[in-house]
Amino acid sequence: MTCYETLFVVKPTLTDEETAAQIEKIKEVVAKNGGELIATDDMGMRKLAYPVEKNNRGYYTVLFYKAEGTLISELERNLKINEDVIKFLTVKYTKQKELAQFNKLVESANKKTDAAPEAAPVEEEAPAAESTEA
Amino acid sequence: MAERRKFKKRYCKYCEQKVDFIDYKDLASLKFSLSERFKIMPRRLTGNCKRHQELVTVAIKRARQTALIPYIVDRKNVVENPFENVR
Repeated sequence: MTCYETLFVVKPTLTDEETAAQIEKIKEVVAKNGGELIATDDMGMRKLAYPVEKNNRGYYTVLFYKAEGTLISELERNLKINEDVIKFLTVKYTKQKELAQFNKLVESANKKTDAAPEAAPVEEEAPAAESTEA
Repeated sequence: MAERRKFKKRYCKYCEQKVDFIDYKDLASLKFSLSERFKIMPRRLTGNCKRHQELVTVAIKRARQTALIPYIVDRKNVVENPFENVR
């Protein structure tokens, strides 16, 4: 089992539900082929540095997982077929130092997902407070 | 000359911080080794050691592939605020 990280970009034209469905679809491919999903990092909608297939923005997601090498070809085949995915990149972590960094990244990704539900209500409260003052 | 003076005191910034791995998604750390036009800065100007320069190079090339930073910036392809995503 080797540690891998896959980043992929979903088209910006899809609705929130559709993007979520796409991400779920790719996670399923990892799960089906004996991969062990460790963490996911949702980077969200970002501006692309250059247009890709005439899109100026994209929805970034990063998956951290442990799997056999054979999974990668199957996953990349699926990503290539999928027309809603405009970019993807898989990185392998093998060396000791790289693995240490991999664990750090996993931790930070997990922290983000834990913090996200807490952070969201705070943001909602802020504009509400402003409206009461006005 | 002006640019060279900026990097006059040459030492490897990454060695000082004992960086073992540079993440291609962390744009703030890549920014140091990029020129205004998003070219990879040469070692003679940044003072990076060979080992870290190699790490930086790989990270920048990966970031380019995933459209996090542009390949080229010229008059036709102007990036208004390339690091707006960086907090």
